Amino acid sequence: MLVNVKLYATLRKFAPDGVEIGEAFPIEIDKATIDGVLERLRIDKEQAKIIMVNGTRITRLDYALSPNDTIVIFPPVGGG
Amino acid sequence: MNKVLRIDMENLSHKWENVKPEHQTYAGRAFTSITLSEEVDPTCHPLRAQNKIVVSPGLLAGTLAPSSGRMSVGAKSPLTGGIKEANAGGLTGTKLGSLGVRGIIIEGAPPDSEDWYSILVGKDKCEIIKTNDYAGLGLYELIGKIWKDYPTKPGIIGSGIAGQRLLKCAGVFGNNIENSDPGRYAGRGGLGAVFGSKRIVAIISDGTGGTRPAAKDQEKFDAARKVFVKSLNAHAVTGRLNDDKGEPFGGLKNYGTNVLLNILSEAGGLPTKGFSSGRFDKAAKISGEAVHDLVDRTKKKFGDKAEGKYAHSCHPGCVMACSNVVPYEDTGKMHVSPLEYESVWALGANLGISVLHDVAELNRLCNDLGLDTIEAGNTIAMFMEAGLIPYGDGPKSIELLKKAYDESSVEGKLVSSGTQTAGEALGVTRIPVVKGQALPAYDPRSIKGIGVTYATTPMGADHTAGYTVAAEILGIKGTVTDPRDLKKAELSQAFQATTAYIDSTGYCLFIAFCILDDDDGFNAMKDTVDSFLGQDIEVTSYGKDILRKEREFNKKAGFTEVDDRLPEFFRTEPLPPHNVVFDVPDEELDEVYKNM
Repeated sequence: MLVNVKLYATLRKFAPDGVEIGEAFPIEIDKATIDGVLERLRIDKEQAKIIMVNGTRITRLDYALSPNDTIVIFPPVGGG
Repeated sequence: MNKVLRIDMENLSHKWENVKPEHQTYAGRAFTSITLSEEVDPTCHPLRAQNKIVVSPGLLAGTLAPSSGRMSVGAKSPLTGGIKEANAGGLTGTKLGSLGVRGIIIEGAPPDSEDWYSILVGKDKCEIIKTNDYAGLGLYELIGKIWKDYPTKPGIIGSGIAGQRLLKCAGVFGNNIENSDPGRYAGRGGLGAVFGSKRIVAIISDGTGGTRPAAKDQEKFDAARKVFVKSLNAHAVTGRLNDDKGEPFGGLKNYGTNVLLNILSEAGGLPTKGFSSGRFDKAAKISGEAVHDLVDRTKKKFGDKAEGKYAHSCHPGCVMACSNVVPYEDTGKMHVSPLEYESVWALGANLGISVLHDVAELNRLCNDLGLDTIEAGNTIAMFMEAGLIPYGDGPKSIELLKKAYDESSVEGKLVSSGTQTAGEALGVTRIPVVKGQALPAYDPRSIKGIGVTYATTPMGADHTAGYTVAAEILGIKGTVTDPRDLKKAELSQAFQATTAYIDSTGYCLFIAFCILDDDDGFNAMKDTVDSFLGQDIEVTSYGKDILRKEREFNKKAGFTEVDDRLPEFFRTEPLPPHNVVFDVPDEELDEVYKNM
């Protein structure tokens, strides 16, 4: 199944080369959950602190994804 | 031995006083707010002689505790009409701490004076100097001149052009460690104008002969501060630059506070184009990641001549180092320092501007003119809202802000006068202020808790007063509090009280990201404060005492519950993309201070 992913801050290193900041890139996943996305991209669960699917925050790693969903992943961040 | 320096600007005299016995535990915000509440008539005109300026380094400023060199400035605010504390890093907090100055209280004003003054504070000395040659200068030039006149590399705070003209957007500037930028602002509430009203350009703090403040229990203090450093360095937000593999690790060091721009935009909580959307489709172009890449790019291109930096400390001894130096793309030379999240939002996303250079230039102009970036950005938005400048037009915004140099320009005066004044003068009805102070970079419709803080803090709309965003968006402290949940009084109150305590210690508020997540870090932080004072301070009750005094001041100044509300349009205009309004009931807002 094809989904789109955006990675920010320290997680950008897991995106393919040449992907711009804030640019979504497509990936093919076998397991249609957030877990599946993290495994496919080799991102530690602990690093994926904030996850949004189509603009809504989700907390469950077994959240079921649909084709063409956009998944946005942030590491722990803070500022102000 | 700590002393209080009292300066009377009416007769240009000063005296040193002992810290009152009942004030022994007060520093920073506790000192400024409690002194104001005891000494200033809440009904006074903020820009006349009855108001006072209180400056106080945080309790641990000058010690070796990490990231503890912040300093508070307080006065009755000309922007809100209420009590105000604004704090900043820079050099002054550390210098005053090492000089044993607990606070500076400036009262009165020179009658009918055409002259301008600066105050030189040193080891057991104070001089009030006529400095007409310092007035009217851009602040980059001024700080350079002062370091030539005083080669001991002093801390400098004071008023710029805007403050000297008594305009309400004026912040209190501060020089940075390198003295390359006056951008260490105690920005909010128009306090720069209070300096102007007392005919003061600068307070110059010469640390020569200063000593490191001693803790009551030095051994315990030293042990605790070392644990605390470890805790800060290990946390993914406040931690070290790179991990063991050399990959970027600490969010603040790598991307600065502006790491927040993308996340707030993705979450639909980034106020865009005058609070008309919660998402900015060009956020990435001006984000912390974009600044990080720009710095790396110019380093590669210009080598040793490149001046851009991230992981830059805002005050001596800061281990979190969230500041930056933003370079010009074409030369690698410094453009502005710092470029923070709030400023990038106010002068970028809020205006629909996505050219990083233009945002940096607007920030540089604010730093030079003595303007608070948050208030100035919101004020420019009023010109856009009124149709005088199109949203997204960086060059026209720069042109407008440059008019602020010209004393005869009415537009220049207006753009320096704050969001409410400009909005009303220009016929705008969507004016994002609480108690006269413009909202910062989180839309309260999609993040309810921060709306509760904006509405209820005695400071006017201020995110730092009770940063519930840490729990609602950033997931600090384990679980995430749903930003859509309406029961937020308790959360906001807890954050407001803890913040008041942190603002008094000298610690940067950003330690909260670590101490709320890591109990060892929290305990070590508290141990530094307790061992320094030689007594156990209960965090929340200390904070609440300050809040009660501040609230009481505002009440006497004429504020009622009606002032603890957001502007109407937040309740009636749905915010895309989630199409939500601010629907926290008034009773919930009133709950925050009801039983404090």
